[in-house]
Order: sequence, then structure tokens, then C-alpha cells
Amino acid sequence: MILGADPLLTGPIDLTAVAIVAFKTLLVFVFLLVATMLMIWFERKVHGDMTNRIGPNQAGPFGVLQSVADGIKVFFKEDLIPDRSDRFVFKLAPYLSVVPAFVTFAVVPIGGVFGDGERGVVSMFGRDTRLQLADPPIGILLVLAMSSIAVYGVMLAGWSSGSKYPLLGSVRASAQMVSYEAALGLSVVAVVLVSGTLTTSGIVASQHVWNWNIWATGAVPFIIFVIAATAELNRPPFDLVEAEQELVGGFHTEYSSVRFALFYLAEFMNTVTMSAIIVTLFLGGPNGPALIGPDWVWGPIWFFAKLLVFLFMFVWFRATLPRFRYDQLMDLGWKALIPLALGWLLLLVAVRVADDEDWNVFVVMAAALAVMAAAYGLLVLAFRAARRVHEVEAAI
Amino acid sequence: MEYAVFAVAAIIVLAGAFGVVVSRNPVHAALSLVATLFGVAVLFVAQEAHFLAAVQVIVYAGAIVVLFLFVIMLLGVDRADDLDTEPLIGQRPAAVLAGLALGGALVAVVVTSTVTGAPRSGAEDSAGADNVTQIGRLLFTEHLFAFEATSVLLVIAVVGAVVLARRRRIEEIDREEPVTDLGRDDGSAGDADEPVEEHA
Amino acid sequence: MGQYLPILMLLVLAVVFAALSFFASRLLAPRRPTAAKSAPYECGIVPSREPPERFPVRFYLIAMIFIVFDIEIIFLYPYAVIHRELGGFGLVEMAVFVVAVFAAFVYLIANGALDWGPVKHLRRVDPRVSTSRTAATTVRRVGLEGREPETGEAA
Repeated sequence: MILGADPLLTGPIDLTAVAIVAFKTLLVFVFLLVATMLMIWFERKVHGDMTNRIGPNQAGPFGVLQSVADGIKVFFKEDLIPDRSDRFVFKLAPYLSVVPAFVTFAVVPIGGVFGDGERGVVSMFGRDTRLQLADPPIGILLVLAMSSIAVYGVMLAGWSSGSKYPLLGSVRASAQMVSYEAALGLSVVAVVLVSGTLTTSGIVASQHVWNWNIWATGAVPFIIFVIAATAELNRPPFDLVEAEQELVGGFHTEYSSVRFALFYLAEFMNTVTMSAIIVTLFLGGPNGPALIGPDWVWGPIWFFAKLLVFLFMFVWFRATLPRFRYDQLMDLGWKALIPLALGWLLLLVAVRVADDEDWNVFVVMAAALAVMAAAYGLLVLAFRAARRVHEVEAAI
Repeated sequence: MEYAVFAVAAIIVLAGAFGVVVSRNPVHAALSLVATLFGVAVLFVAQEAHFLAAVQVIVYAGAIVVLFLFVIMLLGVDRADDLDTEPLIGQRPAAVLAGLALGGALVAVVVTSTVTGAPRSGAEDSAGADNVTQIGRLLFTEHLFAFEATSVLLVIAVVGAVVLARRRRIEEIDREEPVTDLGRDDGSAGDADEPVEEHA
Repeated sequence: MGQYLPILMLLVLAVVFAALSFFASRLLAPRRPTAAKSAPYECGIVPSREPPERFPVRFYLIAMIFIVFDIEIIFLYPYAVIHRELGGFGLVEMAVFVVAVFAAFVYLIANGALDWGPVKHLRRVDPRVSTSRTAATTVRRVGLEGREPETGEAA
């Protein structure tokens, strides 16, 4: 296979390769930290504008350095470990939050020219390599694996605090993250179906120039993914984890100083990473028309332009949408997104297989729609039955 | 290189397994289990079984241990139990016997090949296909029956979970006289049978 | 295996970053714990109640159901990669698989395992209260002015 591996790391690995990898790792690390700092500033500034406030404007031009100031301040704050806490787990939880936040970004392709015989590789110190940190064969599954590890950070932080609000917040949060992970996974399957590969470089290559997966999968998986991603990030309107009116600060109520800062950092870093994943999966990643100058310059430019759109979208969500109630959240995840994602996936498979096998597409579509209608009818019946059980139960 | 990876992964696996057994706190034991599962995932990667490694992390570490932790939290068994009393009579001798039997079986599997068949390398079907493709080809053609049987197993798991969790309620419903809905939605997020929310 | 080297490096870097942050905080931050500071947060009140010990069984059900769906989704990935090779045969086998899981899903919903909604207030029917009496009929009894002509016969 041409796609699906970083040419730098196939075969024996020598010192030059290790040096290049170390350089790229450092670059991604610094980029993530800077991007997260800027994202925190961007969110506060845009959210301020949307609510008719000024937002940070003291540290540096337009307050850009506000996050740096906050970051430095945090080191001088007292680090408290509550009496009732489980000290080992209490200290472990921030690591479990921060590490997945960093690692997920490794599979995001930032640039590279794809299509027309190009393999999306660039030359660096005389070696061919990809403009993404790592390109493992499981690609997108690494993202899912990391998001399932990230649940532990939230869950254990709340449990180990030995306090009631964090515990309530973390149980809520983990049930929420787990619920939306299913919808997230199902919408990614649609992308894999269309792109035919799990590697992120392959997914990006299959979307060359304008053949983006958002069209190829019919937009529904994209919408499901965005909703599920917002819930997975615990961002508004799905921020029940830290519903201030109910739970004080949610799972990190007892955390202070650097430990709190790391949770905060992980939260915003996850926002940046998730936006990057959305761009990679559905909007062609660095694909886009090259205008003037060398081709390879335009990959990163398109990538960051698309990234910015989604970062803005997340801030916009926060500024406009009121928070969900817990039952609404669970209903949306389980009763709407999962059946929709599953149904859409089967429809997509049926159409694609019919196309390959030269079946009549209209007959297949009609059959698929009939099956969907039957499934929908069953679901409605099930909702009615559940309602009856629920009502009778409430009376007991 | 291979040996170094194996050694590190083996240490993680064994340390995790040891932690599961030794930890007095059930949450610490569950975390040690995560370490073990992660180490096994690394071993899978070292064997070029990329998809299995991902599944190992996503399903075992991401879902099953989360379930364990939920149960530990649900039942509030976070304080160390009294280890001197046996919950089941004769549990410890039985555990020793079972352990010995499993150890014997493991040795038998390693030294002979009567159960597993002759060891073979996974390279036979690798012509131009990656790991996921190979798994897919085998799973959806040769091992189709096992795959479909899995779906039945999943259905049984769901039904079992629901029956265990809600059995008492259903019986009560059957005994209850009919009621009429005269009320309205009270709009609160709390559930009536959710004692936690009420006292907060 | 070499493909995972950068991931390992980034992982190590992230751990080192977090560890160094803690180290810096230990050097720079004051340490004056008092009993009040290290008590569990309770909005300023002395904590009187232990944190909850037991949670509703629904949370357990959610985790259990998630395992089922997670396994199902994992099976979908290899299928999605090679669905072109398998053709119509693959479509049928996948449909069978999904139908089984969908049946489990319908069973779950029908049993209310995924219901988190606010409980409706239900009362047994009191024979002394007529069910025909509603808020609208009660309100209309007060005052005659502003009443619609056709309801005049009630007065």
C-alpha cells in the first residue's frame, strides 16, 4: 500500500529518522500548547464580544498574553489535596486527562499535497516524511481509544476528591461521555466506509481537492459527529459536568493550582484537537486549491482556516445555546443520534453496494427506505411502551 | 528492539496484574487492570496486530473497566473490605485449585500444540493487504458464523442487564391497580427514584 | 511498529510536561494547609453528610449497554474497510448483524432502560372528583364579565 504509513518509519530506523521524529514531536507539542493558549484567549474574546463585553485586554496587544499571565499565576497558587481524598488517584487523574489530549493530535495531518500522483509527503533533511506526527495503520481508532481513556481522567478526579459535588459531576460526565462515544464511533464508520481506510492520511487523500466526506457521506454523519464531539468535550450546551448551579465546579471542584490548570488545559486542547479531527474526517483536512506559490504552502493554510471555523463554532455554541437537561441529553444521544447514525450507515452501505453490483439503485433505495420506516415504526412503539412503564413506575 | 518492547510491555502487564491482586482498594485494582490491558495492547502492536491493539484499548480499557468502575462507585465499595472473612465458604482453597489448573493449562498450551494447532506466522495472507483488511476478510467469510453468533450474544447481554436491573419493578407493576394520568410534567431534572439528587 | 514511535515520544513529552508543572508548583507555591482548607468543599458550610454511596442503577445500565454498542461498532470498522470486496453477501450478513443489535436496542427502549426523564406526577383517581372538572371550567366560575356568549347558560 502506498498510503497508510509514514515512509520515514517503514523499515529500519536510524538516527536521522529518530532526530526528525523528535523534531516533529517537539513542533507538535509546542504548537498544541500555543494553540491552546490562543484558543483560551480567542474564546474569552469572542464570547465577550457576543455578550457585549470587552474580554481580556490588558496583557499584551488585545490581551493575547492573558493565558500566559494566568498560566504563570497558577504556579504561585497553593496546591491543596483534600483530607478525604484518595491521594494517589487524586494525583494521577490530571495526567490521565492531559496525556490523551496531547496524544490524539499525533494522527492529524496538517499539510501535504495529495492526489495527482503525490503521496502527501514532504522532504525533510533529505528524507520523505508526512506532515503529521504519526500515521499508524489504525489511524482514526487511536482517536477513539484516546477519547475512551480520557473518560478516566474525569471519572477518577471526581471519585478521588472524596467530596459530593465532584463525585456527582464525574458520574454524570462519564455516563455522558460513554453515551456519546457510541454515536461518535458510528459516524466515523461512515467516513471509513467512504474512504476505505482507517489511516488519517488515507482518509485525507481520498478527499482530494473537493471530494470532501461531508458531501460523500451525505452530511448526516457530519452533523452527528459535531454534536457527539461537543458532548464528548463536555462543552456547552452539553456542559452538565460543571453545571455551576447544581454542582459547583463539577469533577474538578477540589482541584486547585497547577492540577486545576492541567484539567483546564486539557479541556481546551481537546477542543482544538477535536476541531482538527472534524476537519480531517469531513472537510478534507489540508486539501484545497493551491492558488499562488508552491503547492505545499497551501495545505497548512487551508487546514488552519478550516480549523478556525470550527473553533469559532464551538465558541458560538457556548455563547448562544442554553444547557441541556440531563434527561434531554441522554435522550438525544441514545434515542436520536444512535438510531439515526446506524440507519444512515446502512443506507450508505446499501447504495454503495448496489452501485458496485449493478443493482437497480431505485429498487435498493426503496427497499432500504421501507426497512428504515419499519425500524422507525418499531422505535415509536418502543417509546410508547417505555412511556407507559415509566408512568406506571412513577405511580408506585 | 523487539525484545526491549516485549520486556517493557511484559513488566507493565505483570505489574498491573500484581496490582489487581494486591490492591486493597477496588478502584486501585481496576486501575491496575487498565495498566495490564494497556500492556497487552502494546504486545499486540509488537506482533503487528494493530487492529487488535486498538480494540483492546477501546473495548477493554474504554468500556469494560469503565463498567467495573461504575459498579464500584454504584455500590460504594470504595473502602477496603475486611479481608479475613471469606464471603463464600471454601473460596480460597477453590481459588488455589483453579489457579493451579489454569497454570497447568497455560503450560500445556505453550509446550504442546494439540489444542491450538500448529503455530503459524500471520504473514501468509499479507500480500498487499493491511491488518484490518485481513481481519475483515477472515471474519466476514471464514468465521462468519462466529461473527453472527456474537450478535446473538450481545442481545443476550442486553436482555440480561435489563432483567437484572429492573426485575423487581416489573413484578410490582403487574400487581398494581390501574392508575390514570391526571398530572403534568414537573420539569425537574431529578428522577423520583434518584435519592442522590434529592439531598444535594 | 516504527509508526508508533512518534506517539510514544509525544506521550512521554506530555507526561514530562505535567510532571515538571507539578515540580515547578511545588517549588513556587506556598504550602499552608489548614483543616478548613483541606475539608471537602461545601459552599463554606462544615460538611455534615458523607458523599453519596450509591447511585441509580441506570448509570450501570448505560455502561453495560455501551459495551454492547462499542463491540458492535468495532465490528463495523473492518466491514467498512472491505465492504466493496464482500459485495451483496457482505451487505446481507451485516444487515443480519445490525438487525439483531437493533432488536436489542428496541427491547432496551421498550423497557424504559434509557429513560431519564422527569417523572410524571400521577395520582389515583379520586371518585369524589369529577374528571370533567378542569382548570378552564374552574376559572370560568369567577365573575360573569368577559364571558363568551355561548357559555352564558352555565350561570
